[in-house]
Amino acid sequence: MPSLRGPAPETLHPALWRAHQLGRPGAAVLASGYPELDAQLPGGGWPAGVLTELLLPHPGIGELRLLAPVLAALQQQQRCVMCFDPPAAPCAWALRALGLDLQRLVVVQARRGLKSRARALLPAADVLWALEQALKSGHVGAVLAWLPARLPADALRRLQLAAQLHAGPAFLLRDAQLRSQPSAAPLRLLLASAGPDLLRLTLLKRRGPPPAQPLVLALPAVLSASALARALQPAVPVEAAAATAALLAAARWASTR
Amino acid sequence: MLWLALHLPLLSLEAFCATLPAADTDADTDADTDAGTARPVVLLVEHRVHSANPAAVACGIRPGMKRATALALAAELLPAEASPARDAAALQAVAHAALAFTPSVTLHDTQTVLLEVQASLRLFGGLAALHRRLAAALAPLGHRVQIAAAPTALGAALLAQWFPTPSGRSDPAALVTGPHATDTTVLQALLDAAPVALLGPGRVHGETLQGMGLHRLSDLRVLPRGGLARRFGAELLDELDRALGRQPDLRRWVLLPARFDSRLELFARADSSEQVLHGARVLLARLVAWAQARHARVGAFTLRMRHERQRQAMLPATELQVALAEPSLDPAHLQLLLRERLARVVLAAPTLELQLQCSHLVAGAAPNGELFPTQASEAEGLARLLERLRARLGDEQVQRLVAVADHRPERASRAVPAQGEGVAAPRTAAVGSSTAAMGAGALPLHRPVWLLPDPLPLVERDTLPLLQGRPLQLLSGPERIETGWWDGEPTARDYFIAQAEDNSLVWVWRARLPEAAGEVHWFLQGRFA
Repeated sequence: MPSLRGPAPETLHPALWRAHQLGRPGAAVLASGYPELDAQLPGGGWPAGVLTELLLPHPGIGELRLLAPVLAALQQQQRCVMCFDPPAAPCAWALRALGLDLQRLVVVQARRGLKSRARALLPAADVLWALEQALKSGHVGAVLAWLPARLPADALRRLQLAAQLHAGPAFLLRDAQLRSQPSAAPLRLLLASAGPDLLRLTLLKRRGPPPAQPLVLALPAVLSASALARALQPAVPVEAAAATAALLAAARWASTR
Repeated sequence: MLWLALHLPLLSLEAFCATLPAADTDADTDADTDAGTARPVVLLVEHRVHSANPAAVACGIRPGMKRATALALAAELLPAEASPARDAAALQAVAHAALAFTPSVTLHDTQTVLLEVQASLRLFGGLAALHRRLAAALAPLGHRVQIAAAPTALGAALLAQWFPTPSGRSDPAALVTGPHATDTTVLQALLDAAPVALLGPGRVHGETLQGMGLHRLSDLRVLPRGGLARRFGAELLDELDRALGRQPDLRRWVLLPARFDSRLELFARADSSEQVLHGARVLLARLVAWAQARHARVGAFTLRMRHERQRQAMLPATELQVALAEPSLDPAHLQLLLRERLARVVLAAPTLELQLQCSHLVAGAAPNGELFPTQASEAEGLARLLERLRARLGDEQVQRLVAVADHRPERASRAVPAQGEGVAAPRTAAVGSSTAAMGAGALPLHRPVWLLPDPLPLVERDTLPLLQGRPLQLLSGPERIETGWWDGEPTARDYFIAQAEDNSLVWVWRARLPEAAGEVHWFLQGRFA
């Protein structure tokens, strides 16, 4: 009889959840801007105050288009976004087109910094120190960090502890080969490109049951409609060569005028 | 008039122990523990012991002993020369800390600072609150202080030098509060129990007074003044009268210097930056005391390290200039900046002496601390964080992006060093300001987020560029960018958006006019993220 069973365990405390449910993160969550992703994340958004690890095969598959809504929302609330060691120079116009405010964005290049004595011992010492300082200060809205593949054993654990003092999300973007290495981040996603302007997300680790199949998100379009149609044509080399040859011929004709 | 006297009984020992390296002090010591350490330390004047720290007194060493006797009593004794200049510098720092509370500060002798605080009592909320704030201001300097209050200057000084502690044991606290004499009758009653040796002339004529049976000041009071003046001179009566307020007591006020310049000669040469930092801690505490007295905040300071003489010649002193983006009075913040700067400097030789100079102050008090974070406190906290990052990584490594109105992609975006004050500035109506909502009237996403610093040349096969051995599929283009003929860097390029084998989008270009006939070069400019 239901009355004899007592209250359901998951209603007793916010940190309790059953294996078939999605857990509730302790701190706030921020909407990611993609409803189908929010449905899969515990709490309904990116968790604040903990590390979130995004694993990419290589930079440039749409990760910033994925994160742009939550970063823009934080900047609207007068909070600053800091990027640590981006893999290449960010283009200011592209960031502006994604909706980010350049006044509230700080880029820290720890890799090319001046040589301190600690750096000779450990190449990642500077970026880990800078990241820890930013997380502990509590004045930064969101943090994006591109960490090297080889890190000290307890580096992520330290960052997770420092992130508890941080009021927003902390994203670590690392290489996809590290998917088999354990990590202290409570949320891990594997990103891959599923097509032009499409992103395939696999939730490797979350507070909840593993998802049945990967999620495919439609990112804000870079390609125009005709370019998209050209991309979706079956990839027969002869056809592709003909299409691109047409493009090149048009270019050559325009250049000779 | 209400005078406060700050008496520092162990000033010379504490000033000397500040020059010792960090390894000699206890692991958990803060500077509030009694001067010196577990190790016995004595200060010598002309080969005789002048002052000894409690550890040396426990070994049986007394002032007046010879150096050899003291060394025989304590094996690990650290004998050092007393230095009046070092003590005077330490006393000046205490006077500067006191100047933050009242403009009337004077030095009584080599160990006492007098403050006249009647006019400041109402501002600071009473004598007890003033004591607490004085304790907080003097704590970083690390001295044991005895405080007493009286209506006359000399009376307060005498009370601070001697007052009966109820337990008879020295209080381990750093600031010991003595009696507060509210008026001259109370002061007289308190001083009646004091020994005659408290007065200067009393010490000079000590034996004669003892022989006459005059042990306390009350005994002196009942004697006829004429007789006392004839036997012991007018100074004894003069000092008594000045202490009890019967005669005026003229003092010279301490003036605050316009520039801060303080030296510390290290006892042992400093071989590592940690030891230099330990010595600089004392100098930074003095700097903060001076800046507080000026009611301003530190904007920049210079640490000069004088090195040991090398075999060939004298090395020039190493100068380290630390400029603060946000002026501050926080000693922990200044120490952290100095630590990060020291970590990058290679010292040519061991350091013997440290000198701290500051002439750049920013007037105005620090903004009030806030209980709940507001925009101003967030901006200040962010500025401090950026300052710490710049101190460690270098000024050029903390950047902000600026969009330049240029069609050439490598020039369209520039990274400028981020200064602290611009981050929280409200957004002005910039050129081409985009709305925050994605796709709702925003700029088109035709530019990639990641731009390679130098374009990567690509191999061409069958009129298609290859990326990592796989042909790219050109999807969109050509976008012709032809500009820059006026500043010596003309570019004429056709840009294409291409799809790589793993479905990621890249931005490639080729020159519009090939350099040689039939030669086409493809370059990778960026990736769409």
